Amino acid sequence: MIDQKTLAYINLYGVLGTLENLCELAPEAQSILTNKKPISIGFDVKGGPSATITFNNGRCRMEQGCAKCDVKLPFSSCEKFNGLIDGTVTPIPSKGFLHIKFLLNDFTKLTDLLNKYMRPDPADLEDPDFFRISTSLMLYTITVAIAQIGNNDEIGKFSADHMVDGEIAFSIKDGPSSTIRVKNHRLLGIKKPCESPRAIMEFSSIQLARDLFDGKVNAIACVGSGDIVMRGMISMLDNLNRILDRVALYLA
Amino acid sequence: MSMKINTHAKSAELFQRAAKVIPSGLYGHQGPAEGCCIPVSAYPLFSQKAQGSYFWDVDGNKYIDYMCAYGPNVLGYNDPDVDAAVMEQMKIENCVTAPSTKIIEFAELMVDTVASADWAFFAKNGGDTTTAAIMTARAATHKKKIIFVNGYYHGVAPWCQKIDYPGVLPEDVKNNLYVDWNDFEGLKKVVEENEGEIAAFISTPYMHGNFVDNILPAEGYWKKVRDLCTEKGIVLIIDDVRCGFRLDLAGSDHFYGIEADLICFCKALANGWNVSALCGKDWLKSSISGLSYTGSYWMSAVPFAAAIACINKMKEIDLPKICLEKGTMLTDGLKAAAANNGFNLSVTGEPALFYLMLKDDDSLMLHQEWIAEVVKRGVYMTNHHNHFINASLTDEDVKHTIEVAEDAFKAVRKNHPELG
Repeated sequence: MIDQKTLAYINLYGVLGTLENLCELAPEAQSILTNKKPISIGFDVKGGPSATITFNNGRCRMEQGCAKCDVKLPFSSCEKFNGLIDGTVTPIPSKGFLHIKFLLNDFTKLTDLLNKYMRPDPADLEDPDFFRISTSLMLYTITVAIAQIGNNDEIGKFSADHMVDGEIAFSIKDGPSSTIRVKNHRLLGIKKPCESPRAIMEFSSIQLARDLFDGKVNAIACVGSGDIVMRGMISMLDNLNRILDRVALYLA
Repeated sequence: MSMKINTHAKSAELFQRAAKVIPSGLYGHQGPAEGCCIPVSAYPLFSQKAQGSYFWDVDGNKYIDYMCAYGPNVLGYNDPDVDAAVMEQMKIENCVTAPSTKIIEFAELMVDTVASADWAFFAKNGGDTTTAAIMTARAATHKKKIIFVNGYYHGVAPWCQKIDYPGVLPEDVKNNLYVDWNDFEGLKKVVEENEGEIAAFISTPYMHGNFVDNILPAEGYWKKVRDLCTEKGIVLIIDDVRCGFRLDLAGSDHFYGIEADLICFCKALANGWNVSALCGKDWLKSSISGLSYTGSYWMSAVPFAAAIACINKMKEIDLPKICLEKGTMLTDGLKAAAANNGFNLSVTGEPALFYLMLKDDDSLMLHQEWIAEVVKRGVYMTNHHNHFINASLTDEDVKHTIEVAEDAFKAVRKNHPELG
């Protein structure tokens, strides 16, 4: 039921892409990168996505493609790249051997930190700051995963095919917000608040969002109780919810 | 004088109680999520009683009800003639090992009433009959593919859901083909591309999808579809569950000038009593006879008695004429109320099952705000589903509804000074 190519897109743009937000939100990430020279790592997946992550002055940015990067990690298939994310594949750079130390030390520390926030120990979630950062990172990862599933997964594409053009505000009340942009049935996840939504899906609290992301509550049930507010072009949200169902499958 | 604004504290409290023991509190189209209750706080979630065109919610608010339980309320809640037939039959028998002869009486009435019917097969819900129709078509033709019209709804069985719906397998829907409404050339193309493989074409009499204007059949469309199906040996199924009897007591296929091979009825059949019917042509009778398809309550006599009384009364009062007149009076008034307040209200579909959509913003948020204001003032409508006229609706109800709509438009305009 899982398509490896879709998973690779999610893993690169959704999971590793969340390093951008990790570096912004988590003080530990910033300390890892303090006083480090700028460096860029390119991920080139044959038959799949490619992107470059640049670390500069404590910040992180992801851009599509990897024509210009200091370290290049090629993967012969989507399966191999997905193996990197689940820890079963060790990458071998094709370029940038001089920077291998960053890859083995700092980059690994960052991805371990990301994992700590994305798959948290229940005890860590007792800390309100950790809880907020962890849930915010999940929102951003899910935002991008929704777009990748809508663009690549066969069933997700069926849902996207039934979405009209416009932007969906995907947000947590008094918390982080993101945008799903739909254009000609292609989806783009934007990790910024939506300025002109055609449809709105808002979680009433960060706790509720967390429970939903953890699969403890169902979105439909939450609409009835008013814990999730949906407004606007509901057909967009209907289809978004169907894709959201598949996010759990891919990010499990 | 300002209108009373309803509140729903008790509904909300009961919903919390329900949610502890009922999935999603209230599931399906009558629940707040699928029912698009936006915001939920504007809507009553539970009723305490109903009569005629009205229901009263658990907070004691009275509503003129334009959803009619999503269609079944066709004569008025608690119609005395239907309920008398029910009470009489209850004293005799209902669900018995050897079914009551009411089933024969009812089938004879259906065959006499529905123009395309040579026989009648009974079940409980509309979806039971659409499934029976598909199985009959496949049994008769020994073919597997079914053509649907995009935006369709034919029930909740896996074959008529979509590939991305929870619990549905790709295998459940792999024989489904899709065409656009009114696109006869597109239909012809799909038929040519799947020559010899198509069992049935299933469609509602007109396109009454959600979130879009409802669209009536183009001139000559149904005649061309009928001829194509006949030529290619494709079973033409009309899903008349939603429209049935409100347009034409002889069936909506008759209303649009054709005869279906199979036609499905439910909602308006028995004024809220639980029965549905599949009617069909003689050449399909042996195929449906061979199906292994039944249910524990499908031959209960009480709903049959209700249906007989309901059909007879619908004939007596000329229900379609009432629905057309009242629907037209109402929708003309709603459009005028919108225009008086500078809004553009689109009214589509047949007047008996009118569909409303404010065209002033493409997000539908203004529309949702207006419907919420209407509901808060005691007129029950929904955001994105067609509405229903019932025979007990009075001219006074229609007049009051238009006044409520006007007041609700004023409230929306007041809340949006940016609209000018």
